[in-house]
Amino acid sequence: MLPNPLALIAEITHRCPLHCVYCSNPLQMTSAKSELPTEVWLRVFSEAAQMGALHLHLTGGEPLARTDLAQLIAGAHSAGLYTNLITSGLGLSEERLKQLVDAGLDHLQLSFQDSREEEANWIAGAKAQSHKIALARMVRNYNIGFTVNLVIHRQNIDHLEEMVRFIEDLGPDRMEIANAQYYGWALENRAALIPTREQVERAVKVVEEAEKRVAGRIRIDSVVPDYYARYPKACMGGWGRRLVLIDPSGKALPCHAAGVIPGMTFENVSERSLAEIWNHSEAFQRFRGESWMPEPCRSCDRRSEDFGGCRCQALLLAGDATATDPACSLAPAHGVIEEVLLQINSEPAALAQPASSSSLTQLQAQNSALWTYRVNPE
Amino acid sequence: MAHPEDTSLPRLAKGCRWGTVNEMEGTVLFPEGAIKVQGTGKTILERCDGQKTFAQVVDELMQLYAGAPPALIREEAGKFLESLQNKRIVDY
Repeated sequence: MLPNPLALIAEITHRCPLHCVYCSNPLQMTSAKSELPTEVWLRVFSEAAQMGALHLHLTGGEPLARTDLAQLIAGAHSAGLYTNLITSGLGLSEERLKQLVDAGLDHLQLSFQDSREEEANWIAGAKAQSHKIALARMVRNYNIGFTVNLVIHRQNIDHLEEMVRFIEDLGPDRMEIANAQYYGWALENRAALIPTREQVERAVKVVEEAEKRVAGRIRIDSVVPDYYARYPKACMGGWGRRLVLIDPSGKALPCHAAGVIPGMTFENVSERSLAEIWNHSEAFQRFRGESWMPEPCRSCDRRSEDFGGCRCQALLLAGDATATDPACSLAPAHGVIEEVLLQINSEPAALAQPASSSSLTQLQAQNSALWTYRVNPE
Repeated sequence: MAHPEDTSLPRLAKGCRWGTVNEMEGTVLFPEGAIKVQGTGKTILERCDGQKTFAQVVDELMQLYAGAPPALIREEAGKFLESLQNKRIVDY
């Protein structure tokens, strides 16, 4: 029997005041004028709840850029969904936070780019750090769950311990330490972001020690860099198996990056119900289950654990969405990953100097050889 | 962390709540997932409302499970709550 989606990830807008160099949004973003209207989102939320989904993750872009956010949360809450807001915090005053909590917000995940102000603003391409710290203090006064998320990469991983302690002081219930995942903007900027093996090994130890220190107080979830793993990640828990993502224009996708796979048509929730799309659309059927799998996945014992890895990564790195994820050490295309790692690890990990600048334009000019900042949609 | 003490006020942690609609009955929702609690676990957790002390919860359980040794009830309930506390689902 076909499983229900357990969670709906709603990318309600691609607009964002930050310009993070590892943003998970696609390079081709949805413009503000193509965003779904409130009533369609509300219908989709109640359809998801009826199908048995438990969680709604409101993300973007920056979800706060939508003026109807409180209305969206209220609708999802009354449908019975657990609502999680994934935010940079920019645009969140105490008054607005109170509105969102009153509307039924269950949990807030706040991103940090670094513990050090100058570094954080350099990564984000915006002056955001001091506002985020003030917001973190404010959130703790409300009865909602609070997670702090931190993306790590070559430029900040060496002071991970300092960053972990910084987050501990903010007092969240959870801390998510995520290695950058190389899609979209992060893939574009991979050469400046991917850590060395030595850095990764040190970071693993830092996380292990932190887990012991904060046990019972803060739960730490860490996401390892799949380039350094032996086996691929179970991307989205399997294609069309647990999660559905809706982009700002209403396109239903099995994962954040699936839009890059050529020759696939992703149906829009403004034209069909979520259940029809989930159960019958070609896109959701395409890599569901095991029948699409090539060797070595097809006969591999791990196929029901990692589902062949990530289809988008297979496309981006092996040029074929039906291939075994090159992150897998058994993949025919694993050489692509090895080549990247060889290059990163044979050069000394040249760390860039954070540039302190007052504007994105200045940062762009100063760092153009290093990376490309995420830009906003039209 | 240790087991709750007699005066502790066990409750669902911030960001964790019971499911409210149809099949979510008996399900505790938390940020990264959900657990369905049944049997004794459900009986214990339903009493953890932040108003009753751990001692009161244990008393109620002793009345419900009159045949079981009281020390064992206290021990098992404490262990159960501590495991959920470590997962940040329960606070006390």
